[in-house]
Amino acid sequence: MKSVDVTIDGQIYVAKEGTLLIDLLIKHDLKVPYFCYHEALGADGNCRMCMVEIEGQKRPQIACDTLIKEGMNIHTKGEMIDSVHLDVLELELINHPVDCPVCDQAGECKLQDYYMEYGLHDSYISKDEKVKHQKHIDLGSNVILDQERCVLCARCTRFTSDITKTHELGIIGRGDHARVSTMPNRKLSNPYAMNVIDLCPVGAMTSRDFRFKQRVWFLTSTPSICQGCARGCSIYIDHNRPKNQDEKIYRFRPRRCDDVNGHFICDVGRLSYKGLQEGRLRVAYLKEQESDIDRAIESYREIVDSSKGSTILLLADANLYLEELERIVEYAQSIGASVATPIKSYIDEEFGDEWLRSSMRASNAKAIEKLGITTELPKGDISLLISFNHPDADRIRADRVISLQTHLDIVDRYDVTLPLATYVESSGTLINIDGIEQYSPKVITPNDPIPTVVEWIDRVEGGAI
Amino acid sequence: MRECRIVSKRFDTPNSHTLKVAKELGAYSAIDIAFGMTPVEIIEIIKESGLRGKGGGGAPAGAKWELMPQDQKRPSYLVVNCDESEPGTFKDRQIISKDPHLLIEGIIITCYAIRAKDAYIYVRGEYYQFQKILQDAIDEAYEAGILGSGVDITIHRGAGAYICGEKSALLESLEGKRGHPRLKPKQKEPEWYFGNPTLVNNVETIASVPYIIEHGASGYREFGTPKSPGTLLFAMSGHVERAGVYEAEFGTPMMEYIDHYGGGILGGKKLKAVIPGGASTAILTADEVKLATLDYEHMRSIGSALGTGGMIVMDEDTDMVEALKNLLEFYHHESCGQCTPCREGTGWSDTILDRVLSGRGSSKDIDKLLDLANIMDGKTICVFAPAVAIVIRSFIGKFRSEFEAKVAK
Repeated sequence: MKSVDVTIDGQIYVAKEGTLLIDLLIKHDLKVPYFCYHEALGADGNCRMCMVEIEGQKRPQIACDTLIKEGMNIHTKGEMIDSVHLDVLELELINHPVDCPVCDQAGECKLQDYYMEYGLHDSYISKDEKVKHQKHIDLGSNVILDQERCVLCARCTRFTSDITKTHELGIIGRGDHARVSTMPNRKLSNPYAMNVIDLCPVGAMTSRDFRFKQRVWFLTSTPSICQGCARGCSIYIDHNRPKNQDEKIYRFRPRRCDDVNGHFICDVGRLSYKGLQEGRLRVAYLKEQESDIDRAIESYREIVDSSKGSTILLLADANLYLEELERIVEYAQSIGASVATPIKSYIDEEFGDEWLRSSMRASNAKAIEKLGITTELPKGDISLLISFNHPDADRIRADRVISLQTHLDIVDRYDVTLPLATYVESSGTLINIDGIEQYSPKVITPNDPIPTVVEWIDRVEGGAI
Repeated sequence: MRECRIVSKRFDTPNSHTLKVAKELGAYSAIDIAFGMTPVEIIEIIKESGLRGKGGGGAPAGAKWELMPQDQKRPSYLVVNCDESEPGTFKDRQIISKDPHLLIEGIIITCYAIRAKDAYIYVRGEYYQFQKILQDAIDEAYEAGILGSGVDITIHRGAGAYICGEKSALLESLEGKRGHPRLKPKQKEPEWYFGNPTLVNNVETIASVPYIIEHGASGYREFGTPKSPGTLLFAMSGHVERAGVYEAEFGTPMMEYIDHYGGGILGGKKLKAVIPGGASTAILTADEVKLATLDYEHMRSIGSALGTGGMIVMDEDTDMVEALKNLLEFYHHESCGQCTPCREGTGWSDTILDRVLSGRGSSKDIDKLLDLANIMDGKTICVFAPAVAIVIRSFIGKFRSEFEAKVAK
């Protein structure tokens, strides 16, 4: 495709001929309102919001169905096109319940944004004249539908028909009685269903899991990587610190990454934030006894010292960051231990699919491979096992066991149990199933920070506590 | 007025829908002539004849046929649009019930010209009894070996949506999807049925083909005007003595047609207005009707359209606000709901007129209706909403005092 010059609002832009005008507008952050267009779903042309004025054309044209041609002169503002935006928006809102105060989408709603930008008109229709539809319909898969708030952009139905090809959703009825619905006797049930919540530009589809928990304008979004499996999907973690409480994560949202996950994530990954907060281990244990950290570290050192010369095995979790794994390998050398990451417990054939979900559930299995850490258990007796959050810690026979772990699970079996930070409380590099390296920053800092792998090793080695 | 019977020539003969009677009266005689020509020659004749699509748009049929590829890289299809749902229009059903073999003959010739082996007839769901007659005729044609050896015809019944008369929505429906019009192509190209080139034509267009083949392009051009050659099955309903379908040539004065075939206005009353070509054309006042002639160019020049030629005649006692309400209820009910201006605009304009009729309206409402007409015009995928805009504008523009009177009370 050849590059051509087009003029938009008096500025010249270079674009590929034959590509969609709306993509150019989005790319250059030129304001154009739209509901139905989505880069992953393509143009549908039903909302009629993305109208622009093209010189030489009698009527306004939708940018999502306009192909770029040499020398086009486009106006996204001006008296005529402003009134078109206002008019179409007024129609979108005519049967809308305008229930923003109780709508969970408020703050991230396109209708709200566009009303402030293009509308600011008075309502002409009375509440009794509005078309009534069903509200809070449980579609399944944590998706709640409010048909009255829907603008019928068909993003959700296109997602289930074009992307997941599961066809649960459709539009039924005609005219202003048209509404989104599941097919008769079917629920929305596919492993990626909750993406329709992000796709929905308005408050028609909200998450049963997230709704009413927090107003979005109180949330901080931090880019991160999902660790639900080895795909390493890009996400936003929405979190905040409620007054007098500890830092809290409310939801994961997909973050666009063309190399890995495109625009979407799976529901299991999306809901995996819960595991980062529930059932966490926050104190140290000596056998079944709670212990203060100093005593626990003392015991740790005693056990390691007395085991030197015999077989010590360090078990490294395949979800740890590359930097953390490197530190474990280094530590093993210093105490004459070997490192292993038994890999079988991470494999879940039923979880894997042909799209995003990988049957390798460990997020950093490729880093284990890269560092040459063995994935088999060494033969022979083990006198000391130190597990860095490995799921097999309690299944491996050893004379003595030290476990650093993020969650409560089992504590009473081990000689020493130390609490460990989760991946959102730490930072480092992940290598996904296709060998793509991604950096995952630290997202939250709890009021009482729990040490990371590196911090623990530094402490047990360093002497000073 | 000159009698002209191109598609209605066998309508008056009893049992004209049977193969035996139709054959006795000359059905299928054009096929042999057509098969003596090449497909491209047939398309040339259709182009020369100036045959225009008779489903409402009036686009030249030959130009559409010419877009069909002759290379047969992929299968081509013919789809006959018999989803006749435009209010005031009831001509195609006369063809499929009175002379279905004429349509079959036209289909065979058209399929030969565009190198299609399969034709689908999309019949309006409500036309159950007419569809049965057509199916019986198709069965007879199969038995007689007329069909089956080169062309297969399948009837598809619609499920009752007006929008499925729009050709791209029709094809979506035929593909088993929701009847939504498609985005318009960027250049001239055929329609697509499951990704294969497809010609969509109205029943009457196809039924006119055998006559053109038999009598040549010049034979067809003996009727009508130079730009609107031939005839149309014009129809009349409403306040006339003899409502019905009568074939007439293009260019016939409208009043003459109404008086000659319709026997004048019902009960000898005065004419008030006529919607000339199915509901979706601009209404004409009695004064305009007196000057109007029934051809595409003239109707366009007076700001209306010939449409399907289905005239809705209204006498002096007609309440124009009620009449518009009737139409808006129809559009409200039939908007497919795909694009916003139409989905919400048709409903809203119906709601506003409801206000006006129930005595809760104000003059602001009338202006809002006109505003809405502007919003709906030229911003949608198909021409449904622009048609509603035309209807609203013409009613209020020509009969505003009646609307004012309703809100003044």
